[in-house]
Amino acid sequence: MMMTDNHLQTQLHSEFQYWFPVLRRFDPDDPFFASGNIERELLAKQVALDFTEEEKQQLRNLDDEGSEVICPIVGCGANLRSLAEFEDHYNARHTASCSVCSRVFPTSRLLSIHVSEAHDSFFQAKVARGYAMYECLVEGCGVKLKSYKSRHQHLMDKHNFPSSFDFFKKAQPSKKERSKKNQRKQRHATCTTENEEGSSANAMQIEEETLNGLVSAVSKLTTSDSTPSAISFGRRHTRGLTFVPRVVQRESKQ
Amino acid sequence: MAGETTPPSHRRHPIKHTVGNAAVQRRRQHAVSVAKERREAMFRTKRLCMEGISISSDAATDNEMMVDEEPMVLESQTSKAVEELKLAVSFKGKDAVEKKVHALRELRRLLSRSGFPFVEIALKSGAVPLLAQCLSFGSEDEQVLEAAWCLTNIAAGTPEQTKALLPTLPLLIAHLGEKSSLSVSEQCAWALGNVAGESDELRELLISQGALIPIAKMMLPDNGSTVRTAAWALSNLIKGPDPDAATELIKIDGVVDAILRHLKKPDIELATEVSWVVVYLSTLSDVATSVLMKADIVQILVDRLAASNNLQSIIPLLRSLGNLMSSDAYTTNVVLDPGHEITESIIRSLSKCLKSEHRFLKKEAAWVLSNIAAGSVAHKQLICKSEAVSLLLQLLAGAPFDIKREVAYVLGNLCVAPADGLGRPSLLLDHLVSFVRNGCLCGFIDLVRQGDLEAARIGLHFIELVLRGMPNGEGRKLVEKAGGIDAIERLQFHENDDLRMMAGLLVDSYFGETYGLDE
Repeated sequence: MMMTDNHLQTQLHSEFQYWFPVLRRFDPDDPFFASGNIERELLAKQVALDFTEEEKQQLRNLDDEGSEVICPIVGCGANLRSLAEFEDHYNARHTASCSVCSRVFPTSRLLSIHVSEAHDSFFQAKVARGYAMYECLVEGCGVKLKSYKSRHQHLMDKHNFPSSFDFFKKAQPSKKERSKKNQRKQRHATCTTENEEGSSANAMQIEEETLNGLVSAVSKLTTSDSTPSAISFGRRHTRGLTFVPRVVQRESKQ
Repeated sequence: MAGETTPPSHRRHPIKHTVGNAAVQRRRQHAVSVAKERREAMFRTKRLCMEGISISSDAATDNEMMVDEEPMVLESQTSKAVEELKLAVSFKGKDAVEKKVHALRELRRLLSRSGFPFVEIALKSGAVPLLAQCLSFGSEDEQVLEAAWCLTNIAAGTPEQTKALLPTLPLLIAHLGEKSSLSVSEQCAWALGNVAGESDELRELLISQGALIPIAKMMLPDNGSTVRTAAWALSNLIKGPDPDAATELIKIDGVVDAILRHLKKPDIELATEVSWVVVYLSTLSDVATSVLMKADIVQILVDRLAASNNLQSIIPLLRSLGNLMSSDAYTTNVVLDPGHEITESIIRSLSKCLKSEHRFLKKEAAWVLSNIAAGSVAHKQLICKSEAVSLLLQLLAGAPFDIKREVAYVLGNLCVAPADGLGRPSLLLDHLVSFVRNGCLCGFIDLVRQGDLEAARIGLHFIELVLRGMPNGEGRKLVEKAGGIDAIERLQFHENDDLRMMAGLLVDSYFGETYGLDE
């Protein structure tokens, strides 16, 4: 016979926090997971020491002279070690290259942005008329700016790009262009302050000059001067080729 | 081959020998440096790139260059290498590319040494702006690859060293594009993975610069080391604590399909890295969790766990399941139907983990079990029928504290029916009696004696179950015999209010003046 104190039993019943089965969850950075996380990284280092199947295959290819492929694209002639490597090379160098200036880009999107901005005078015409044509380089952002400079500013402000980042780097200039550039640089050296960003700022200014020249030249084109109605503007490289020399001519006349 | 016994140096042997031989050599010589790194890399999530992605054709000349030198000599070599690079970058004539590649390679070798990768001196000599220039669009693959390799290893260093990569980030991200060659994009992903692994600020920065989508896309193809590296980098990128990246990731076209596909493949390393992505998705994002659940991920994870034998794959599988189960009762109640093979399978796998020699594996497995044990009565019965229970009882008796605590949760959950919202939940007596007969009381009383709040609380809770539930009032005598009264009474002087109260209530209700007057 159990003699229990009823009052106390009731108190227990009301105040005691009984065992309730509940789901228990931990945050990803909870110390509960710490030891497992350490194991992960230690094991990862170990694994990196072993050769993967592919690395083994590549090593085998090294010895196998007969598997060489030479890229057939005119002007390329690169030496590749296997068919797989050739496919990789072709994809990298010959499908995302600008047919005007041969620059290669890592994505089709960047390529098309480059072509519009660098080789399409319709693009420049729109810019001259005040349209926001310069797309943000970060895919998915969607913002368009009115000038190369303001796009650069947007990249820095919104996407934390460093100020040294320069999308449109001029290609290897010819001797003629290099001497021209030096002349310009001498002119600019007196009025721009040289700082860390000096060289890229210079490049930007020179490029801006060129673009300004393009824009003013384009804006000087009258409708009677321009192309027949049955034309399509945009990323057609051939059209680009037709236009660029024309505008450059105008510039040199000034 | 002469010099079979490799001294702990950084001498690399010619690759002209058979692959197997070379692999063994490398493994041996790197084992020494890895042991050193083990100590340094305790909380690192970064990976030093020592072997590189593509084995370049001049790898044979690598060895002639890599001689065992004094650190001081190597330091000056490093600053010289940066100087060389500076000259090469400004050189505009014929063979400019070759000059750059050669200089990059020199620097890369110095930065790839384990033990003393001379990152600091390279940075002080101004390597980063030069490397950034080498990454410009249209550069030769070899050049971009070597530059990215250098950056990878710089980023594998201290937080300051990693932050030094800031100006190069947009370029590295751009080279992840679908038009880049695979080895280039992979090396860039590796570098970015190291940056992402450094801190949540850098993770957010990378995401704001648009890194998420291209890296995610690299994970979509069927095979290749690129996919694996991308998965690893991705896991570093989304690991939070900000859940947005995880939620964004799951929305990208093709990602869910790729995850499921890779988890079904025999490639262990790939599946492991992808499992880690699932770990973060399941712990950070409810959206991601529900999408994955709808795609039947639990079945895939359970099957994979059952078939896995190595520690590396088990960790993330276990944790993913743990996360999925703890987020929503749906998992336990609906997906893990106690009548289906899937539930028996996971309990079997968890029991296997309880037998592991690795402490954290036992702990995490017990945690997962505790959540299954929080399910329906049928679930609890299923666990009690398995070998898990005897393992748990053993662990309760002798395991380290952190494991004991998780085990306590399992056992306690097994004894109590699901809460039905009407006051005190009812007991599952047959389970309780069986455990007590097997001597589990001692383990719980030990927990009460721990200084730890949570442990003491669990201990008291279980003792209450025993006192309440054991038939014929046996409970009190059993608790007394196991030294329980003493342990509880001590808590009456504990600084924590709740514990004091609970202890007091138990003592008064069960061991009050009336105690000892019973037959």
